[in-house]
Amino acid sequence: MSVVDSPSAPPAQQPPARVPAGGRARRKRRSATSGGFAPLVLTLPALLLLAGLLGYPLVRMVVLSFQSLGLRQLFGDLPATDVGLDNYTKIFTDETFYLVVARTVGFTVVSVLATVLLGLGVALLMRRVAAGVRIAMIVAMMFVWAMPQLVATQTFRWLVDSDFGVLNYLIDLLPGVDFANHSWFADPIQGWTVITTIVVWAGIPFIAITLNAGLTQVPKELLEAAVVDGASAWQTLRSVTLPILKPLMIIVTTLSVIWNFGLFTQVWVVRNGRPEDEYQVLATWAYSTAFKNNNYGLGSAIAVVTVLLLLGVMAFYMRQMFKIGDVD
Amino acid sequence: MVATAPQTAVRRRRRKPRESDTPTVGRSKTGTAVANTVGVLFAIVMFFPVYWVVNTAFKPAPEILQFEPTFFPHTFTLDNFKSAFNAPFFQQDLLNGVIITCGAVVGALLVGFLAALAIARFRFYGRKSIILVVLSVQMVPFVAILIPLFLMLQKVDLTNSLLGITLVYIVLILPYTVWTLRGFIQAIPRELDEAALIDGASRFQVFWKIILPLTGPGLVATSVYGFIQAWNEFIIINTLNDQAHQNLMAWLLQNQTSRGTFWGPLMAGSILTALPVVIFFLIIQRNIATGLTAGAVKG
Repeated sequence: MSVVDSPSAPPAQQPPARVPAGGRARRKRRSATSGGFAPLVLTLPALLLLAGLLGYPLVRMVVLSFQSLGLRQLFGDLPATDVGLDNYTKIFTDETFYLVVARTVGFTVVSVLATVLLGLGVALLMRRVAAGVRIAMIVAMMFVWAMPQLVATQTFRWLVDSDFGVLNYLIDLLPGVDFANHSWFADPIQGWTVITTIVVWAGIPFIAITLNAGLTQVPKELLEAAVVDGASAWQTLRSVTLPILKPLMIIVTTLSVIWNFGLFTQVWVVRNGRPEDEYQVLATWAYSTAFKNNNYGLGSAIAVVTVLLLLGVMAFYMRQMFKIGDVD
Repeated sequence: MVATAPQTAVRRRRRKPRESDTPTVGRSKTGTAVANTVGVLFAIVMFFPVYWVVNTAFKPAPEILQFEPTFFPHTFTLDNFKSAFNAPFFQQDLLNGVIITCGAVVGALLVGFLAALAIARFRFYGRKSIILVVLSVQMVPFVAILIPLFLMLQKVDLTNSLLGITLVYIVLILPYTVWTLRGFIQAIPRELDEAALIDGASRFQVFWKIILPLTGPGLVATSVYGFIQAWNEFIIINTLNDQAHQNLMAWLLQNQTSRGTFWGPLMAGSILTALPVVIFFLIIQRNIATGLTAGAVKG
């Protein structure tokens, strides 16, 4: 893609000597640079919408995080009172905050590792199996991928239901194991296993299918050369396949980190909209604080901290997108 | 473009056979058998939850509520679908969902296409920052802006309305719309524009008669993806609107919390809610993957 796009790259960076046909390229450049007011007019509606419903709320969120705003102000139509750094002090002196951050980070690391490694495994497997098996794998993954998050989570709630869930029945079939009426959410470790499973199950198709597409770019000649030179399967994977897959791996991993760090739906739904302390992550905690406890200022402060924690990862993602050259 | 064309041709010619016959050097028969077995097992495990939803939805209540489940409905029934469809607010929320989603898609396409055009075809001051904004807003956790959004819309009386939530959804799908359409427009050779301009067409005619028709498939794919996103959203609408102004996803959420769980109707409702998305998704899945990782796959 980047190769095809290069004629539209900024002209200043292109030394004339490297342009194949000078006149042609100059004409192209001119049409690309001109436009006058047109681009402004064209982008204006989008910018206005983004500014009004995304930009302003973001600014407002930061302002709110320095204020105290509850039901009394909301319904009494009273102005929010400035409280300076109170909300932040409250967060950073609260033990819950550190637990929630640790839990969110822990979940993100485990779930992203599991999704990416399993996705890579599946992608490699897809190159190895018979055509029929590969189609079966793709069809299954397509259905999983297409499933809305909420529907997927409701489904898993039903699968692990303590009274009539099929999972308890299947585990109960094992000799000497009694899983009848087993509640999966009484113990947070088991509950988090379920949540992680939902997220990983739903995340595998995107990664496996994307990486599989990337694997078709690995030259067959290189793989054969490696085999002829006596490389083991593992060595071939590490020294030939993975380096070629690397840019794609970085993108899907970064995206997974961004998505999983913002975990909300799965927790919210399996805990019936009232997550216990052991199930709170940053997003649910911010939401509960604002909308369940009606403390909008404190909730905003938590949201600000969440965004700040993600900022590094987002910047990295953006740099990758620019580096790869899709953004010219 | 001209210089790279032969290169692409060579690449394509060489890639063809590679895809059809997988390399066989150094591969044992047992290894292939193991791989096939694992592949089949994987497909079964992945698909099992999907199968279980369908299986449950067609069972009568007594057959659902037993510890030893039946792996196919012994008594086949459509009662769960009927009771889901006739459940309070289902039809209302279905209608709401269609209105909101279509409004959001049309709005985002109109606004997004213009912006994509500017980004793909002009170089102007601030162009890079716009791309940066478009890319970055996709990553802000929605909860972060939900609080101020709620306060803001409440002030102008746009909570508990279909208009307010439609505007929010337009903004929700706008970044992706701009981003993907930009790619589609860029794929149209600039020479076409130039030829038309030389032939005396105005800029507007170029957009209207050349770029718009050629972006057709892109517009379809992008709007379907926008449809999926707007249709699947339920947290924002559940927070901003009262019960009379929800969509079908939010209905599915409330169906669970308000009166215990009736698994049969819930699974049937899930199928009804997910059906348009699943169908649309299967049609355009190729575009979704490329949209998210565009450019990362290089030849």
